[in-house]
Amino acid sequence: MWTDEDTVEVTIEGDRNVAVLQVLRDDPKLNFFYLADAAAVDYGPTEHFEVVYHLYSDRHPVWLRVRARVNRADPHVPSITGLWEGAMFHEREMYDMMGILFDGNRDLRRIYMSPDYRSFPQRKDFLLPDDAADSSAAGVRPLERPETWDLSRLSDELAPGVLAHVEGEK
Amino acid sequence: MTSEVKIPDPLDLDRDEEARLRRVAGMAPERAPAGEYAGFESVGLPERPPQTEREREVYSLEEGEMLVNMGPQHPSTHGVMRLVVKVRGEVVTDVDPVLGYLHRGIEKLCEEATYTTVLTYVDPMDYLSSMHNEHAPAIAFEKLFGVTAPKRAEYIRALVVELNRVFSHSLMMGFLALDMGGITPILYGFINRDEIVDMLSAISGQRMLFNFFRVGGVNFDANDEFFSRLGTWRGHVLKNVEMSERVITDNEVFRSRTIGMGTLSGRDAIALGVSGPNLRASGVPFDIRKAHPYSIYPELEFEVITQPGGDSNARYLQRIAEIKQSINLIDQIVDKMPHGAVQAQVPGIIRPKPGRAYAAVESPRGLYSVYAISDGGPNPYRFRMRDPSFVSLQAIPKLMPGRLIADTMAVMASFDPVMGGVDK
Repeated sequence: MWTDEDTVEVTIEGDRNVAVLQVLRDDPKLNFFYLADAAAVDYGPTEHFEVVYHLYSDRHPVWLRVRARVNRADPHVPSITGLWEGAMFHEREMYDMMGILFDGNRDLRRIYMSPDYRSFPQRKDFLLPDDAADSSAAGVRPLERPETWDLSRLSDELAPGVLAHVEGEK
Repeated sequence: MTSEVKIPDPLDLDRDEEARLRRVAGMAPERAPAGEYAGFESVGLPERPPQTEREREVYSLEEGEMLVNMGPQHPSTHGVMRLVVKVRGEVVTDVDPVLGYLHRGIEKLCEEATYTTVLTYVDPMDYLSSMHNEHAPAIAFEKLFGVTAPKRAEYIRALVVELNRVFSHSLMMGFLALDMGGITPILYGFINRDEIVDMLSAISGQRMLFNFFRVGGVNFDANDEFFSRLGTWRGHVLKNVEMSERVITDNEVFRSRTIGMGTLSGRDAIALGVSGPNLRASGVPFDIRKAHPYSIYPELEFEVITQPGGDSNARYLQRIAEIKQSINLIDQIVDKMPHGAVQAQVPGIIRPKPGRAYAAVESPRGLYSVYAISDGGPNPYRFRMRDPSFVSLQAIPKLMPGRLIADTMAVMASFDPVMGGVDK
């Protein structure tokens, strides 16, 4: 628990997000009925992901920030589209940009990148094309050249579950 | 000869009979084939395995259904956006928005930019509310860095964002009418907008991408040209707004195409994350300026306006009411504006202490918020923007089934999405 002038912060484990958010939304004393934002943060290749929810309540003069930790090697989180339908696009964006898989989301497709794109551009270990040649991942990242896609090499970096989802084998 | 052949409803006939009749009538290519993923071909997608349940639902066709691409170059999609519309005859049965044609990866770019440069990157996102786009990161970075803007700077900020809201809303009125075939209102809208844009270029130096806000203040003080233009504009703005109101509000075509169209209940709107004028038009009094007051809004007097209807017409009336409210706020701000500095003392390169900050503002399209994380360096570690029109777009697939295909754009225009913001 951590606060600043207008935000209260709670840190939870990723798999408890639905239970926690459901209580926050449905308890009349809390009444955090509006999902203001849902975003993912990458804390680096050796650390973890975080899915961050911001909630609004008319009972409390603060924003509530719920930070859910997600394991980077196996990035599965329950989907909250059952609580707020509008989380759909947020979750699709998080999947597209970070490669986080939301279990129970029935439309987990890419939203910005094309459907056959195979990287997750907002991860911290994704380098922009400018500096890709200098990076340790040079030649591995497919970037914008689909003819160079080599899935056997990609699968070393991506968690197997993510790759299966990208491939559509699921 | 052709006119004598009467074609019964093709769905009731078997394929041979239908083909024969079409041949006799000398008309129409064959129907699109029905079946799973039959739709992929008709919207120009390569064959590939299905990824999700929803994709299977949209791209599988039943007998008599077909898919139509609306966009990405459609003139009334308010930017570059594609709607895959599933139609049965002229009735929409499903809509799948396809985004990403304007995706520039601004969030990723901002991770490479200094805090001051971020404020220039966010301008072209939602290009009809650039001032609001700068306002939220400015507040968030001030929280991170622990600096407060001087009072006069806060008043100038509130003044320019309210001006920006007026021109955004007057353009929305024009575009809504334009999507229903009325050309005149958009011209009135642009007259109103150009006056405000000239005013904002007098204060910031640029017409559209203002780059006006700074961490700890604003770039320039309000000058004489700005106030002189503001006075001239204030003299006749209400007359201009009433003029466009008279052209649109009671127009019979406009009324029949907006009343009862795209009705969204307050409960659904909250679940879908719709915010701003669109949410208030569904009767939910949620306005960030009151709910989480920022800047100088606690010092101003105003009420949250709502409409009971929830349909396209209510969303339009809500915009008009908000234009008048903003003009009232502008009067109050100019009355109360104090003297003093407009920029706090901040170093050239800002290095906040490690931490996190969240700031939300009420943009013309709703809740625009920024979540910034600092790791102590000169660039934000993570910079997240929540764009209101991105989230509001989810309402379109909910509202359109059962409506005519021609109303898709009319309902979409009433939500006033801006694709620059949707695609980031």
